Amino acid sequence: MGSPCELLVETKDEALALRVARFAAHEARRIDGKFSRYRHDSLVHAINSSHGRPTSVDDETARLIDYGEALWKLSERRFDLTSGLLRQAWNFDEGPVAAHPKKIPALLDHIGWQRVTWEPPTLTLPEGMEIDLGGIGKEYAVDRVADWVITETDEPVLVNFGGDLRCTGRPPANGAWHVGIESIELAGEAAGRIKLGAGALATSGDAKRHIEIDGVRHGHIFDARTGWPVRGAPRSITVAAPTCSQAGSYSTLAMLQGEGAEAFLQSEGVRYWLLR
Amino acid sequence: MQLKKPIGASLAAATCGLLGALPAAPAAAQEVGDWDIDSSLLLYGEDNDRVKDVSLDIAIHRALDEDRSFNLNFTVDSLTGATPNGAAPTNEPQTFTGASSGKSYTVPAGEVPLDPSFLDTRIAGSANWQQGFGEASRWNVGLTFSDEYDYSHIGANARLEHDFNLKNTTVYLGVAYGQDEINPVGGAPVPLTPLPGPSDTPGGEGEGEGEDDGGGGGPSQSKDVTDLLVGVTQILSRRSLLELSFSYGRSSGYLNDPYKILSVVDPVTGLPAYTDQFPGALGIRSFLYLYENRPDSRSKQSAFAEWRYAFDRDSMAVNFRYMTDDWGVRSETAEARYRWNINDRSYLEPNLRYYTQTAADFYHTVLFIDRPVPQFASADYRLADLDAYTVGFKYGHLTDRGEFSVRLEYYKQEGTPSPGSAVGELANHELILPMQAVIAQFGYRFKF
Repeated sequence: MGSPCELLVETKDEALALRVARFAAHEARRIDGKFSRYRHDSLVHAINSSHGRPTSVDDETARLIDYGEALWKLSERRFDLTSGLLRQAWNFDEGPVAAHPKKIPALLDHIGWQRVTWEPPTLTLPEGMEIDLGGIGKEYAVDRVADWVITETDEPVLVNFGGDLRCTGRPPANGAWHVGIESIELAGEAAGRIKLGAGALATSGDAKRHIEIDGVRHGHIFDARTGWPVRGAPRSITVAAPTCSQAGSYSTLAMLQGEGAEAFLQSEGVRYWLLR
Repeated sequence: MQLKKPIGASLAAATCGLLGALPAAPAAAQEVGDWDIDSSLLLYGEDNDRVKDVSLDIAIHRALDEDRSFNLNFTVDSLTGATPNGAAPTNEPQTFTGASSGKSYTVPAGEVPLDPSFLDTRIAGSANWQQGFGEASRWNVGLTFSDEYDYSHIGANARLEHDFNLKNTTVYLGVAYGQDEINPVGGAPVPLTPLPGPSDTPGGEGEGEGEDDGGGGGPSQSKDVTDLLVGVTQILSRRSLLELSFSYGRSSGYLNDPYKILSVVDPVTGLPAYTDQFPGALGIRSFLYLYENRPDSRSKQSAFAEWRYAFDRDSMAVNFRYMTDDWGVRSETAEARYRWNINDRSYLEPNLRYYTQTAADFYHTVLFIDRPVPQFASADYRLADLDAYTVGFKYGHLTDRGEFSVRLEYYKQEGTPSPGSAVGELANHELILPMQAVIAQFGYRFKF
């Protein structure tokens, strides 16, 4: 997952705590291994190396691709499972601007879900294109673990994979999980703490890093239509929703709205915390 | 730019396709309140119509971030009832000039004299600021004040804490300084002089209650108090913790209780002596009582140890304090608490406390007319040889809105008169009234 994964179990049953922790660790590794773009033994790597040949995928992968396709439609093509290629033009590791903007038009020829043939369970990715399920895989892993925990126990459990989290069972003894969110500020406070009694929280963005291009601040999420980071995006957005996947999608889609992030979240009627 | 319509239903449908099902419950998330409010109402009542106290306390804690926080505390007390004035019982009614009211009152024969006019409202407050510095240190500075009609206090305090040894050891150092001003009703009496008789009281009966025009007595008095504290908290194991501390305190200035007197009695009969037996006494012949006099400084040292232990479900704490001062008072306090966590939301915490002290060197239940008046003398039972027990419990219940608690305690105190005071008539009476008190406290703590 590329980030610390944590599980909090409030119980007196040590065996249960261990069982839940083992399942979570196993599931996190399984999903990471299956969908990581970086691992050569992963299914995603196999798809991306298919050179235009149809690839048949298993049911779980099909469901993730369906979900990615739904987000593509809901975001009006701003979110795109095939936008990972843009990392060739943008390098965030080397500072705020380390781009090769001239590469963008050529890359955009290989980006766009409309170019993909998706007839479940068969995916045909044109030569030179690739998909990245990492953007939705982490939240999916949180939900998978949480859904399994619900069948196992009613004890309070918090599943936290790199700051995207969901709680299950009854509320903990003090009524709610107190979650510190590094990248948000609550009105006038340095550190945001949220009481989570039910549901999930997911955060997009990074409060500490800015991207400025020609004096204009940009977000960390690319608009797949332009190949550029979203103009006027908030530094970070945290959203509460029943599942981590929904929370993550809301925060990503809001980020993609740039200046309109607040208006979007307000019209959706979700609970959110936003840092500009 | 804006998407055309809310996507909530479509997103829920897509998520349902991904996960198979969605949780029925909506998300419940809100900001954690950073204001932590702890409020309590305390009712304290002593038997025999002695002191009753109603006290309302509000403590506000606000964390600004991980390192900085402040505390504000406000208390309003309303005290009523009677307190022993220091005089001894005898076989005749005794009449006194009310100390804190100026009114006279008469105590029936055979009863320990209580001054019934005790009535006071006190307000007190404090403000503290805590801030971390470096990785392992914190400092805390604060101001305190209190005010009542004949007494006011202002003070300042500071405390420094440092963690060592992966935060398993914390050392702290504290200092506090306070200045108090005492404005006794009718002025501070001249120590070891006779209490005016009932009929020659300056500004006696009929005067407005609690009014202090300063007439007749000395000017307002003051004292200052300095306390030093050094301590260490050591985590011994996953389950236990030990805290040790030592403190030194010094008070200087006016340390008398201006409303406390001593009976002067005949060494054989134990009956009250008369004012005309006292050199230089003026006025009508009446029973002889002298205003008390204490040294103008007091130094205390105390050592404290507490051990806390966590069981799987419950926890307990025992502590012990030893105190000694240069007035000859030595006290020991032992206390034990056990917290029974009934379930995730409720607990019951019984506690037991035992307190014992030796009398101050200048404590005299009575003075004898045939002996020279000592340099220092007080018949305040709080300076006598005392034993006290407290037994009680606290019940707490956590809800989503906060914690409610109820504390009930029973307190019993017994004093021993100074040796050789039960002469003649005095042997027929209880010289120090045993005291019982009940404490009820209702608390509500919440965040917003």
